[in-house]
Parts: sequence; structure tokens; C-alpha cells
Amino acid sequence: MNKKKFLAMLLACVMLLAVATGCGNNSTTPPVDSAPAGDDAGSDAASDTGSNGGAYKVALIQQHQTNAFQIAVTEAAEAKAAELGVELKILSADQDAATQISQIEQCVTEGYQAILFEPVDPDGLRDAAKNAADAGVVVINIISACTDWEGAGIAAVSYGNNVKAGETEMQQVADLLNGKGNIAILTGPSADAGGLQRMEGYENILANYPDIVQVVSPADCAWDTAQAQATVESWLSAYDLDAIICENDGMAVGAGNAAGANSGIIISGVDGTPDGFEAIKDGRITGTVSQNGGAMAANGIEAAVTLLSGGTLETNVLVTDNTWIDASNVADYE
Amino acid sequence: MKETKRTKELISEYFIFVIFIALVVVLTCLKPSFIQPGNLVNILKQASINGILAFGMMFVIIAGGFDMSVGSTVAFTGVLAAMLGQGQYPLIVPLIVAMLAGLAVGVVNGVGVAVGDLPPFIMTLGTMTAVRGLALLISNGKPVIGISAEYKAVAASSIFGIPMLSIFLVAIIAICSFVLAKTVYGRRVYACGGNLLAARVSGINTTRIRISTFAIAGLLAGLSGFLMTSRVTIGQPNAAESYEMDAITACVVGGVSMSGGVGKPWGVVVGCLLITVIANGLDIMGVSSHWQKIVKGAIIVLAVLLDIKGKSKKN
Amino acid sequence: MEYVLEMKNISKTFPGVVALDHVQLQVKPGEVHALMGENGAGKSTLMKILMGIYTKDPGGEILFDGKPYHAANPKEAMDTGIAMIHQELNPILDMTVYENIFVGRELKKNGLVDKKAEIEEAQKLIEECGLHVSPRETLRNLTVAQCQLIEIIKAISINAKVIIMDEPTAAITEREVGLLFEHIHRLTEKGVAIIYISHRMAEIFSICDRVSVYRDGQYIGTDSTANLDETQLIKMMVGREITDVYPKLDAELGEVIFEAKNIVRADQKVRDVSLAVRRGEILGIGGLVGAGRSELVEGIFGMQPLSGGEIYVKGKKVKVLSPQDIIKEGVALITEDRKVTGLNLSGSVNDNIAMVAIKKLLTHGLYNKRKALSASREYIDKLNIKTPSGNQIVGNLSGGNQQKVVIAKWLLNEPDVIILDEPTRGIDVAAKRDIYLLLGDLVRQGKAVIMISSEIPELMGICDRIVVMCEGNYSGEVKREDFSQERIMTLASAIKV
Repeated sequence: MNKKKFLAMLLACVMLLAVATGCGNNSTTPPVDSAPAGDDAGSDAASDTGSNGGAYKVALIQQHQTNAFQIAVTEAAEAKAAELGVELKILSADQDAATQISQIEQCVTEGYQAILFEPVDPDGLRDAAKNAADAGVVVINIISACTDWEGAGIAAVSYGNNVKAGETEMQQVADLLNGKGNIAILTGPSADAGGLQRMEGYENILANYPDIVQVVSPADCAWDTAQAQATVESWLSAYDLDAIICENDGMAVGAGNAAGANSGIIISGVDGTPDGFEAIKDGRITGTVSQNGGAMAANGIEAAVTLLSGGTLETNVLVTDNTWIDASNVADYE
Repeated sequence: MKETKRTKELISEYFIFVIFIALVVVLTCLKPSFIQPGNLVNILKQASINGILAFGMMFVIIAGGFDMSVGSTVAFTGVLAAMLGQGQYPLIVPLIVAMLAGLAVGVVNGVGVAVGDLPPFIMTLGTMTAVRGLALLISNGKPVIGISAEYKAVAASSIFGIPMLSIFLVAIIAICSFVLAKTVYGRRVYACGGNLLAARVSGINTTRIRISTFAIAGLLAGLSGFLMTSRVTIGQPNAAESYEMDAITACVVGGVSMSGGVGKPWGVVVGCLLITVIANGLDIMGVSSHWQKIVKGAIIVLAVLLDIKGKSKKN
Repeated sequence: MEYVLEMKNISKTFPGVVALDHVQLQVKPGEVHALMGENGAGKSTLMKILMGIYTKDPGGEILFDGKPYHAANPKEAMDTGIAMIHQELNPILDMTVYENIFVGRELKKNGLVDKKAEIEEAQKLIEECGLHVSPRETLRNLTVAQCQLIEIIKAISINAKVIIMDEPTAAITEREVGLLFEHIHRLTEKGVAIIYISHRMAEIFSICDRVSVYRDGQYIGTDSTANLDETQLIKMMVGREITDVYPKLDAELGEVIFEAKNIVRADQKVRDVSLAVRRGEILGIGGLVGAGRSELVEGIFGMQPLSGGEIYVKGKKVKVLSPQDIIKEGVALITEDRKVTGLNLSGSVNDNIAMVAIKKLLTHGLYNKRKALSASREYIDKLNIKTPSGNQIVGNLSGGNQQKVVIAKWLLNEPDVIILDEPTRGIDVAAKRDIYLLLGDLVRQGKAVIMISSEIPELMGICDRIVVMCEGNYSGEVKREDFSQERIMTLASAIKV
């Protein structure tokens, strides 16, 4: 009996330790009590003398960190934090809602004053966000928002409107087609909220163009270049396509590879990532809608700092504009 | 009596081939463009990378193992190849480095399984996660762009209308089939999977055989990584997600027994073509990808069911 | 040189256990040398050291052909000239006959496998053994006996000077045993020494020249079989005298309690077999390996579909679609392969005993650990199960004690009819005797026992009546007063000739 209890306690300790080290790996908190001459205010949070004495403690929980878009978010957030003198910890939820919930709880426990996060699931993360807000933490959504975010006590959202991005992309394609042609659409994972919103944007525009016809049903290529490439290869042997609209750049590159450079087929993406830019330059894809993820994160951190220092926001919906990038202006964005 | 039994056995053994032919006929009837030369070339191209992976996987499964890490290895070696294939070195350098890196992952798997006595599933699940992390680490999470035109041409070019990718595949098929059927090594791979203990007491160095099968899977995953980067023209750390499942599917559908010791190269070729044809055919017909998933899943279960039924009948 | 193989002062210690304690073995060229001893006596460990599967403790020496011998692995042992046919080792079922014969030492031409030569060579070896199978046949399609013979052929074919045979006849028929013995004679004439491990007394006396006996890791002695009789040999093995190998307790016969009529299995492995058993009776089912005995009881028990037949328990007709249907009526089946279908080897003795009759161990619908413990303690005592405690993992027990755990598990359910399939296979003399006494005790309580066994002396020793099967058919029945080995053998091979 005693042995079991001991084991249980041991297990609990190990888990705590794991959580602590796991969460701490991105923060810059060397125990430097003996070195008060530290050059950077951001690294002195261990003493925890209250919010006014040290820098603000802000946590950013990304959905994941495995593509160019997300890495841009990481980099921009770090730059902004350094600029404002904020102590920033960045975590990745690895696309798992349960992980993200525990990370939020953990950050609240660790005394972070503001938590920014991109919800892995708009519904699943709502309660965790509400609990954090109830505990007095400033909670901000970036990139996408939780369902009924205001009701959940989320202070602000900073996103690029995915519906708008979809509208921009489809409008550009429609203009290039002069309002008439056969098109096909490649989507992200079927249940992905961002993808669905882009699709909504496509449909808003297509409603105005009865002569633009979808000749095949949209294919779910799960953001994956190789899969998009195979699907488009197959399509091209059976259909006459004038344009292929993709929900991200990775898939657009795959479509571009399948069609070849300067194929005459209009191929578009969303995101504005380096691989997309490269494909625009060599003519494999026509253009992309840049979703400035970095700006979303930076605006979010700015909003957090404003709120923490007692200020108010002009609006709690911060929308980052999107831009159409094609061969004419790609050089400006690299 | 004996005649019919023999016929039944033949049908059960070549059943997957029958399904394949039937599928091709049905698809051709539904959509004649399916059988156009252009699309056949597509199928060859699309089958190549999975085919090469499946042949590596075949060695592992026949020897009684299982490898979850090949997808991650493709991504990792693909990123490596993309970083080295920007034109600064001759093309052979990224190829060799990718294959050696894959080999290294395979050897780690093999040592863990054969020497450390870990269940293959656990060992390769570990490397699957770790190697994916490695891919993200060296690429800093971003796709690696800017590979040389020469490198892009590897996958894009063709000889007499046959895509280069499938020439790689055919070469791998030929080598692997030869090794399995004709060499002592191949015979011993089957022996290890058929009955590990029996193989050991028959004087076979089973540790070495098992490590080597994982090494082959890793090596071929490295080759696939190199080709993958050439095909998609970028090295993506998050590419080839769940490719191990496709490779395993090709093997199992092609009659390679998950319990080891059984499997013919031609079966894996058919298994691999079958999967590709399903995806390609459904794409051509414009069937939604949700249905594609259902069909693919159903075929896997059906094939394995037939496999088991066929065997229990013989007993 | 008198001995081809000499093992002197060999010890082997596993963590916490001394498996071999300074034992010895001397084998002459051209002799058949029996190794005897109960399970756990150390025979297998000794042979595994010889084959290089285990390493002996430092000290002691092995001489082969007069020269010091050390094998690091089976391959080295085989290269030196020692081969082994393993008892529980299945061949590689998905490979062909010729591939199995040459696995590990494939014939080569230009660095590749020389298939043609292998097939020719295999064909020759198979013919020499009087076996009628094609070298290209897959082992999965052969009978257990044929597979066993292939293993033997494989060992013979490496031209070893010493061949170890561990229970080579466990799964083969009388006729094949005859062929095997002929082959052994041919080998010994050539000067090959055979080390023969078997529990079957009759075989030891008919084929072996000398016998070495071991007990609990100790060497007991070596003698010529001509100087020994069965009782003496058992005394050496067990350490005490067991005069009555097959104790038969008297019980009063009652009414017919179980009856199976015209059983036909859907796969035709059993055709039209009937049997009935009365309270207080032990009914034996005899026949050769593959006669359909296990298939019959599996069919009756609902493990395999039947296409015809009726089953009555206590006069009531029972429709059996799954084992639950018949367990409910008070019938128990103790299956042939305890490791596969009888036990959870990694579970404790208590857990295993509680497995079948779990409903008897509940209080208010919940598992009552105390009840389970007391039940398990009761049966550990009753069946004389040798285990340090009820918490011992079953896989660590000896074969005989494992078998007792299986029986205990079923007895806890208080069945009236107990069917046992080869209950004494591979267990030692003392444990066998315990089981015979237990069966006698059960029928005394008015229960009925049906027992399948391949050992005719065993059936004749403890059964009241024996039903004999042959190739899936009922071939006859013998009452105790008419028991004779010839009679049963004739019935068992009736249709075969």
C-alpha cells in the first residue's frame, strides 16, 4: 500500500517537473539574483516583486511552429517583445487542443499577466480562455478567435480576416479570368476553421460570377505540397482548367509544379511564404494573398501592453490587412 | 476436388491483382481519360515515392518488424538534400548525404529493436517524433527554397516519355526483388520474420539481419527524401506526414503479412499501384476527398481480411 | 577415445536460481544416450549450454572429440558437429520444406542461393526418411508430425556427430515413430551419438543404450538401460519410490450425465461421432495425432461451428453456439495448449484461478478480493499447487503446476462434466500422479470426466472406458475389462490401412 502511494507521489513530482521544464524552455529566466547589474530588464522576473517593478510577463501560445507562416509569427513576436521590453514566453500547442488548454492553465499558475494564443479549436479553447480571464489575466486571440470571444472575457482579437483573404484571392482570379472560366479549389484539412473561412470568402465572390464554374469538387490536400501536386496532375489529365485556387501557398506550389512554369493556368495561394514567393518569381504560380501573421502577433502584444499599463484600446478587433502579391510586387515582400 | 482447391488457392493468392485489374477497367469505363498515356505517366510518377518507401518497409515487415519513422525520415532527409542542393555542390552530394542520414535513422531503429529488444512500434514511434523534430530544427521550421535547376530536373525529367522518378522506382523494385528471391540474405530475412527463434537456433545472426532491414528502410527513405524535394522543389520539414501509413498499406494490401515471414515483391508493386490508382482515379472523377478516405480505408481492411481468411482456410 | 562428448563439472546460475550444480555427462560415439529428469531438473539448460544458447559459469569443461569445446552460438555448435532438434520450436511455417532444411546454411552458387541443388538434396533426404511430401510444399500445409520430421531431417542433414533430440516424438504418430527409430539406428551405425530427451518410459527402454538422470540441477547418475527397470528409473528421477504410476480410485457409476450424438463439424474434421459418459466415470478418447479428438471436444464446446449433432447435459438438450452456452450447463473444457488457450501467463495464480468463476467471487456486483483469495488458497491446497504464494506469476511455475492452475480455474466453477485435452502432456511424473488422483477424486464426488490422451498406457491406467477415433470418425469403444494396447491401436489405425 505504502509503495503505491510512494509511486503515485513520485509520478506526480516527475510530471510537475516535466511541465515546469517544458514550459520554461523558451523563457529567459536564469536565476541571476546575485547579478543585479543585469543589462536586460526582461530577464529579471524571478524575484516577482509585482507588476510595476519588473517587465510585463506575457505568454504566446502558437497553434504550432512547423511552417513558414507560424515561424514568421514567432519572429515578429520576439522582435516586438524586445522592442517593448516585455518578458515573452512562446509555446507551441502542436495542433492539440488539450495541450493548449493545459498550457494556458500553466501560464495562469505561473503568474503571466497576459496570454496571447491562436486557438487550436475555436470552441474547445473558449472555457480555458474564460477561466484565465476570470483569474485576471489579459487574454488576447491572435490569427483566429474563439467562438463568442467577447463573452468569454477575451480582451481583444488580432487577426487577418480569413474571409477577406479568400475574397481578395478569388476577386483577383476572377478579374484575371475576365469573369469566365473553369476553376478548381484545393483546401486545407476539411475541418480547419481558417480554411473554412477562406472558402466562405471564395463563395462570396463566386456568387457574383455565374460564368466561373467549379468543374470538380474541392480537394482536401491538407496543406501539403506533394499531395496537391499529385491531385493537380491527375486533374490536368482529365479536365480543362483555367484557374486553380489554393487555400495556402504550399498547395499552390504543388499545383504550380504539376502545371509547370508559365502554364497559362492561373494558380493562386494565401499566406505569402518564401516558397510561394519563389514560385511566383519563376512563373509557377500567379500570385498569393499575404496574410501578415507577424503583424497580427505584434499588434496583439502591443494591445496587451496597452491594457496592462492601464490604457484602453480604440477597438478590440485588430484587423491586419491582406495584400495581393504577384510577379509585379513580389520583390518588395521578400 | 484437388483441382478446385488449387484454383481457389491461386485466386486467394492473386486476389489483389484481380481487384486491381477490375478497378482499372471500372475507372476506364467511367472516365476514359483515365487510360490516356498522360495519366498513366501521372500514376507512375505518383506511385514512385510511396513505392520506394513501401519496398523498404517490405524488408522490415517481412523480417517481423514495423517502421513508423519513414515519413519523418523523408522530411528530414528532404530538408537536408534541399539545403545541400542549392547548386553549391555536385548533385551527388545531397543524394549521398540524404541516403546516409536515412541509413543512420534506420540503424538506430534497428539497434533499438534488435539489440535493445524494444517493440518495433515503440522504437520507431520514438524516432518518428524525434526525426520530425530534427527536420524542424535544421530548417528552423521553414520550408527550404532555392534548390538548383539541375536538382529540380531530377524528378521533372523523363527518358523516352518515362518519368525519371519511376525509373528510380523500377530500379529499386528490380534490386529488392533480386535480393529477396535469390540471395542468402533475402532467404534469411524471411526466416527471421517467419520464426525468429528458429532462425536463431539455425545459426542465423538474427540481430544483424534485423538491423539491416531497418537500415534498408532508412536508406530508401533517404532516397525518397532526396526525390521528394526534387519533385516538390522545396524541402519541407512537415512534408510526408503519415507516409509510413501509405507504405505499410501498400505492403499489407500486397499480401505482406504483418506477422512477418510472408510477402512477395510483386504484391507490393500491385499494392502500391492500387493505392495510387484509387487516389488518381477518384481525383479524375472529381470525387470529394472525404470519400477518397473512406474508400482507401475500406480497401485496406478488405485486403487484410482476405489475407487472413485465405490463410486460415489453408490451415 | 571412449567418449565423443564429455561435459564435466558444469554449473549454471541464473539470478537467484542454481539451474545446474556441477553436473556431468559422457556420451559415447554410436550410442543413444537418454537424459531423464523431471521438469526443472536441468536437462534443457545443459543442452542449451552445449548449443551455445547459454554460457556456462566459469569452471568446468567440455570436451568434444577429445578437444576443448566452446560454442558462442548455435551456428558454432553446428559447425563443430552438434545439432539439436528443439522440443517446442516450431519450424518456419511460411517457408517451403527445402528452405526450412537449409535455413542458416543455404547452398550457394556464385554467391546466390542455389535453389535447384537445395531441392534435389532435400528430395533425397526426404525419401531416405520415408516421408512423402514435395520439397516445394509450404510447411503450413503439412501436419504437425510432418513438420517435426522435417526438423529431424534438418538436424540429420548437417552430418553432426552428436544430435540432441528433445521430445522428438511428442507430436508424431506411431508409424512415424517407427521410421524415426529406424533412422536413429542408421545414424548410430555410422557412429553418430544421439542424446535423447523424453518423458516416455517405453521409448527410453526400447531405443536408448544408456541413461543419465538429473534432479533439481544435480547429477544423479548414469547407467545402462539394461541394468534398470521403470521403477528404479522413476526412483532416480523423483527421489522416492512411486510404485503405482497410474492410481485408479474406485467410484460408483451413476446415470448418464452428458451425451453427444452424431457430432459433425462444419469443416468436416469430425464426422458423426457419438459418446456418452456417466456420473462417476472417466471416459478416455484415444486415437492418433490428427484423429480429430481435440476437434471433437472443441466442437462440442462451441469453439468451432457444428453442422450436425445434438448435445444433452443432465438429460436436457443444449443448443451450443458459443462456449458460454455449455459452461452454463456445468461443463468445463481444459484445453490442450495451456499456454495459448488456458492461462494468462503474465497474471498471478490468484487472477488465473478467478478467471472463469468470477461471478462466484462478487459481493453486490463487485469483485471481492478477499473471496477470491480464499478460493484461490483453497484450491492451491486441494490440488497441491507448488507456488510460493497466490501472487506468483503463472509463467514462472513449472508445467505441471501451470496445468493444475488451469484445472483449479475450472473446478472453482463447480462443473459436473470435466473434459480434459492432453492434461499431462509435458509434465513430470509426480505432477501427473497428482492429476490422476485429482480426477479420481472428482468422479468419486459424482462428476464425470472425459479425457483425451495420446499415451495409451495412461488411458488404460485410469479410464473406465475408451472411445477411439480415427481420421475424424468414431472407430470403436473398449471397456476396462477388455483393455489392451493392441486392441486400441488397431481401432486407432483401423481405416488407415
